[in-house]
Amino acid sequence: MTLAIDAQNLTKRYDTATALDHISFQVRQGEIMGFLGPNGAGKTTTLRILTGLLAPTSGAVRIHGLDVETQSLEIRRQIGYLPESVALYPELRVREYLSYRAQIKAVPRAQRRARVDETLERCALGDVQRMLIGRLSKGYRQRVALADTLISRPSLLILDEPTVGLDPHQIRQTRDLIKQLGETTTILLSTHILPEVDITCQRVTIINKGTIVAVDTPENLRRGQNARQVVHLELQGNPAEIGQALAQVPGVARVQPRERQGEYTTYALEAQPGLDVREAVFRLAVERRWTLRQLTQVQTSLEDVFIHLTTQEQES
Amino acid sequence: MNNLLVLTSREWKAFWYSPIAYVVGAFFALMQGWVFWLLVAVLNDPRVDPTWNMSEFFFGGTFFYWLSMLVIAPLLTMRSFSEEKRTGTLEVLLAAPVSDWQVVLAKFFGAWLCYGVLWAATVPLFFLLRMHAALDWGPIFTGYLGTWLLGAVFLSFGTLMSSLTRNQVIAAFMSLVVMLFLFSIGFLHMFVTDPEASKTVQYLSILDHFRDFSKGILDTRPVVFYLSLTVIALFLTMRVVANPRWRAS
Repeated sequence: MTLAIDAQNLTKRYDTATALDHISFQVRQGEIMGFLGPNGAGKTTTLRILTGLLAPTSGAVRIHGLDVETQSLEIRRQIGYLPESVALYPELRVREYLSYRAQIKAVPRAQRRARVDETLERCALGDVQRMLIGRLSKGYRQRVALADTLISRPSLLILDEPTVGLDPHQIRQTRDLIKQLGETTTILLSTHILPEVDITCQRVTIINKGTIVAVDTPENLRRGQNARQVVHLELQGNPAEIGQALAQVPGVARVQPRERQGEYTTYALEAQPGLDVREAVFRLAVERRWTLRQLTQVQTSLEDVFIHLTTQEQES
Repeated sequence: MNNLLVLTSREWKAFWYSPIAYVVGAFFALMQGWVFWLLVAVLNDPRVDPTWNMSEFFFGGTFFYWLSMLVIAPLLTMRSFSEEKRTGTLEVLLAAPVSDWQVVLAKFFGAWLCYGVLWAATVPLFFLLRMHAALDWGPIFTGYLGTWLLGAVFLSFGTLMSSLTRNQVIAAFMSLVVMLFLFSIGFLHMFVTDPEASKTVQYLSILDHFRDFSKGILDTRPVVFYLSLTVIALFLTMRVVANPRWRAS
């Protein structure tokens, strides 16, 4: 099956800097791929190249088998693009705007009205369809922009930071919509808000300073080499003495005392990846007769992995 | 082709949503009305040569005509690309399956139609005159035609300037400078020593080409000249808009 997106050795160089340095990545049909990176990593540049707004310096990008440099028009007929800026025409009403966009995206005249109705409903814009876009709140504007990407029923959606600036309620709604869309459409979603990625994306590509540093499922990334193990425990006793003893446990990289509640102190232990130090810690507590009140392994978040990966790159 | 119509229709509507069209239109109507009255008053005076006629002066014969042209064209075009570049809607537009030439032409046509409407509003003035005197409609017709074609030249360069910047004020200012330059090319012939080159430079005078229109003569040479300039400006605009798509670095 043709890949939805196939980028090979994509490079984008400006006079002053290299935005993308020979990156290669693939997005399979039907999947929701997260494109993660710190600000300035090259996410928006990549997305602009995919949508034909920018030309690469070198490398090849194919979308549904079509070449981005020579078949741009055809590609644009098959994709929906949501830019970071959520740019709309404030003087038009929601319905008018979507109708106009449907026209330039070649939605057949006979189907246009129904298509607009359907899209309005899908994005929960039915109530505001007669409102001027300039009067809408940010959340609604974002939804209008998203509706615009769907109006031509594209097979590939490219969304640049779709939830930035939304309140938690709206974020959840957008997330649900994206998951729903993901059932029938390929989605490439760029963001730096990590919890979202965890929930919506099947695979994640992490980019930093113009290079790809990881490609995997969120699950694998959390469990992988770059994930550190963190264990929280609460013990009764002298923190200095306990801290020193804990640091001696094989596999423990760092001991950090945190809260203190009366006689009990909570510690965060960082262990080497792949190593479960809980048993060793428990035995040590028994041996030294410390009362153990809590012993939990903290699920490494994607955020930790991300920071670890991108900090590493910055240091090297 | 269908896209061009849709886009042009959108540009046209956008004009009338913004206050600019109304403000410019109101002042333009006011000024043209005043000029018209002034010309009628002057030409009516028995001391004035009776062979002079209205259309010769109203179209291209007064300082006001050229001033209004130089002022209106930048005002009508400054918004065209600049605003969309600034708000980011140009990106959204270009990510849709539309060709660059459709986008450029739509912007130009929108401005050109608006300009046409502004001048069309002066037609009743001639009908008013008709009630009191016999009119020779020939020169009036060519006068309007020439004005419309001249408008194409200035508006196309205005669109080009707008495509170069996000800032409307800079676009307007650059347009003004370019238009002044175009306007004065013809006069440069006085500084060229080589007789052949001098004649060529003189031929490029926008002002000279207009004289035929104001006198009632419909000659293809000025038509071709104005249309050529328009095409050049629009072609350059297209290159500017398409540039990021093709520039490799």
